Amino acid sequence: MPLARAARTAVAVVLGGALLAACGSGPSSSDGAGGKVTLTVDLFGSFGYQEAGLYAEYEKLHPGVRIKQTDTEDEQDYWKSLQTRLAGGGGLADVQAVEVGRIASVTQQQADKFEDLKKYGADGLKNQFAEAKWSAATTKDGRVVGLGTDVGPEAMCYRTDLLREAGLPTDRDVLARKWATWDGYLALGKQYKAKAPAKSAWLDSVGSLFTIMIGQEKERYYDASGALVYEDNPAVKAAWDASVRAAGDGLSAKLDQWSPQWNQAFSSGSFATLPCPAWMLGYIKGQAGEAGKGKWDIAKLPGGAGNWGGSYLTVPRAAKHKKEAYQLIQWLTAPEQQAKLFRKQGNFPSATGAIAAVADATDPYFSGAPIGKIFGEAAKAAPVQVLGVHDKNVADQITNALSEVERKGTSSEEAWSHAKKGVENATG
Amino acid sequence: MTSYAGRTRHGGKLTYAILTVAVLVSAFPFYWTLVAASRSNADLARVPPSLLPGPHLLRNIEAVTLEADIGKALLNSLIVSTSITVGTVLCCTLAGFAFAKLRFRGRGALLAVTVATMMIPPQLGVIPLFMLIAKLQWVNQLQSVILPGLVSAFGVFFMRQFLVQALPDELIEAARVDGASTARIFWAVVVPIARPGMAVLGLLTFMTAWNDFFWPIVALSSQEPTVQVALRQLGGGYVHDQSVIMAGTLLGTLPVLLVFGLLGRQIVGGIMQGAVKG
Amino acid sequence: MTLPSAPPATGTAPPGSPAPAPAPRAPRRLWRTLSPYTYIAPFFTLFAAFGVFPLIYTAVVSLYRVELQTPGEMEWRGLGNYTALFTDSYFWTALRNTFTIGVLSTVPQLAMALGLAHLLHYKLRGRTFFRTAMLMPYATSVAAATLVFAQLFGRDFGLVNYVLSAVGIGPVDWQTGTLASQVAVSSIVIWRWTGYNALIYLAGMQSIPGELYEAAEMDGASRWRQFVHVTLPGLRPTIVFTAVVSTIGATQLFGEPLLFEGSLSGGISHQYQTLGLYLYEQGWGFFHLGRAAAIAWVMFLLILLLVGVNALIARRRSRTETIR
Repeated sequence: MPLARAARTAVAVVLGGALLAACGSGPSSSDGAGGKVTLTVDLFGSFGYQEAGLYAEYEKLHPGVRIKQTDTEDEQDYWKSLQTRLAGGGGLADVQAVEVGRIASVTQQQADKFEDLKKYGADGLKNQFAEAKWSAATTKDGRVVGLGTDVGPEAMCYRTDLLREAGLPTDRDVLARKWATWDGYLALGKQYKAKAPAKSAWLDSVGSLFTIMIGQEKERYYDASGALVYEDNPAVKAAWDASVRAAGDGLSAKLDQWSPQWNQAFSSGSFATLPCPAWMLGYIKGQAGEAGKGKWDIAKLPGGAGNWGGSYLTVPRAAKHKKEAYQLIQWLTAPEQQAKLFRKQGNFPSATGAIAAVADATDPYFSGAPIGKIFGEAAKAAPVQVLGVHDKNVADQITNALSEVERKGTSSEEAWSHAKKGVENATG
Repeated sequence: MTSYAGRTRHGGKLTYAILTVAVLVSAFPFYWTLVAASRSNADLARVPPSLLPGPHLLRNIEAVTLEADIGKALLNSLIVSTSITVGTVLCCTLAGFAFAKLRFRGRGALLAVTVATMMIPPQLGVIPLFMLIAKLQWVNQLQSVILPGLVSAFGVFFMRQFLVQALPDELIEAARVDGASTARIFWAVVVPIARPGMAVLGLLTFMTAWNDFFWPIVALSSQEPTVQVALRQLGGGYVHDQSVIMAGTLLGTLPVLLVFGLLGRQIVGGIMQGAVKG
Repeated sequence: MTLPSAPPATGTAPPGSPAPAPAPRAPRRLWRTLSPYTYIAPFFTLFAAFGVFPLIYTAVVSLYRVELQTPGEMEWRGLGNYTALFTDSYFWTALRNTFTIGVLSTVPQLAMALGLAHLLHYKLRGRTFFRTAMLMPYATSVAAATLVFAQLFGRDFGLVNYVLSAVGIGPVDWQTGTLASQVAVSSIVIWRWTGYNALIYLAGMQSIPGELYEAAEMDGASRWRQFVHVTLPGLRPTIVFTAVVSTIGATQLFGEPLLFEGSLSGGISHQYQTLGLYLYEQGWGFFHLGRAAAIAWVMFLLILLLVGVNALIARRRSRTETIR
């Protein structure tokens, strides 16, 4: 029967291939053989270490170390996968990143699954960091579970070419004056809409509008006692209402952040402004590419300073090379590296020493905007936020509901009830 | 089993036309994958879209290998699918032979239970299974996907049906009379006859294992992906670039298409045979 | 779905009949009786550990509150997970979506498969080519197919909308609209499975004795009447089989809605979230394993119900047939 022979051939080919491949990958995976250590680093979003050449530099400094990075764009997906691996014990990298919206959940519920970095002498680093950044990663009983990477001072990124086409000013100081308040920003949006180029909206999504606005608040979803208060928080309501209004006025391109469509839109000019925390700069560069150089600029955020995001690097208990991992994160989060990263990628330093060092930084990609000054001032003026266990879950449910408002035309009340239900589902 | 005298009429022009359209519809997504994988992200955001392949295929493939470790995913899929195939075919032939030709207490009941579970999607047992491998600390290790993959009630049933028809009782009798043990009978008499059935089962199992989705994305992660896990990562925003995502899809589909190109006729035959049997 | 290939046994196969062994000594006889069990042991060991145990234990887990982060700590909830489901509007949405997507994908799929099988049954040049080409989508993984279709169905830059706009329709928001998104998701299922089912039908058609057609022809029956009165009745067991398999497949639809936008909630307002996806969201999105287990168990009952209904219809129809 030809089938049997054919199948046998196929099996032989496949087995042979597997064997070859297995042999090929053998030596590289058995680290430690030649004194080489391969450190795995698992990140989300855009930390920019690789792009800024920091790994290469570290490998040069430590010839025995090789660094391998994996990166998930969407933090939600990243977090889910991290939780599964923490529960199942396998597949944790030597270094795992944790977003600031999750850090409370780690310190309050999962501290035992991460190394106490004090064991490796992290205590001595305390003075390097902004006080709030440090204390957020410290548990009640004083364990330190992570070292701060960046913070997310907020500004507004915009496309000068699109604004010019619509007959609006493009100077960052003029714009900052015009959109000193959120009302001013939305009014300008209406003007833009009236004369905008085809298929171009004022901003990417109202979800990002909500997120950047709520970043300006001290108290958001939880109060200082740890109670969930988002439902009654007037600040949440205000940001929600403004977002709903923007959706109603048709100011948004209705592109959910981190979706493939959103990514594509960077090169098509679907939106003229993009609320941008500092770490978004590297993302814009990656997405819009060389073609976008000089088309973008950055102005002060409407309605005052705020913070969106920022992260920590941790070492899980189940990591293979804990000591080496700690050395790496200590180096990556040291002021010199944070300053370098900011200049290259835009991730704003959480190390106090680095903040001073980058005050004069400008970025040619963003039409020479004084990013050191804009983000430095924002970082200084931003409120110290109250963090809660389910911060990210609540935020995700709300932006999801807002997406319903702009994409489906769902009423504000109904969408809000969906958000509430989603939060119950996630937290209950 | 097939009385091919069923139809003698030749197909008309319309028949060919409709079938050709069907083939085009079947094939277009593959072509589009190639087009999208060989363009840049900016090209894909252009109206009107470009319908011909572009020059960026290699660059995109390089990007996806770097960002999503498709190479490792391919290797893992190969290991997983091969192990599952070999194991399943062996287990199912053994059990299928016992059910077809041996007499033992509980045979009917056991077979009935096995057949009954064919109806039950494996998804339904996924939660305890996850708790089990979490307890064993197997999350993100390939055996967590391989071992559950070996359970194929269908395979047992398939091999039983095959052997009931293909293996004459007299052959076993003759071997018995010659004094052969049951184990010897299995290797010397059953396996040679079962081979075509084993081959069909092997092909189908390999394809299913390669394409299996739910359990691998639960049990594995981007640290130790199979192809499907890697594709899920791509779809879940692992990579920023649509064209890079399509390059990953292309790489992940190519091996199965290759097997299909080589053995397409046999697979078609296997499926149609399977449909008539039983 | 695992290997939905062979229809369930339609007749009982002849029982294997090894003749009584010629009076062996006692240990040997013991071995004889035991050895069949050693043949089935490998399969049943795995089957028990990874097949039966998880299925039964799902029911147990569904009675507890279990969180993914702490799978060891189980807190008794009784039927709490189930009662919570019945007041959960997302559950009902998922149930309804599973049903509508099931119908949207299964009915056109099987109808088209039947038509294609009919055409493939003619004498054709390039027979093998047509068959193989049509089976190609079946060889593609859910993940790969969905990623490509998600691209094609893009709102702003998708090819489908481009083509539609060329004939003056749209643009359709394939992600957001309830019907539109469900049609898009169904189209992936249809694309992947139509060719496969066509081959199954073709195999069924080939086993219909040619004399039946000849007799019909002599009676002067038109091609259409031949199709209705000879082909369809002859295919009934096959049609039942494909209907059962497609129903089971539709009930547990998961990969397509998950990867269509990459969102666990099946669209921003759950407009195409299926039960399978809701199970995953509860378990691996919100980490509530107990609640996910309850969903799994409801899905199980649903499948039993649907298969039961299917079998019942099939039996009733064959009985009326024999009476006639």
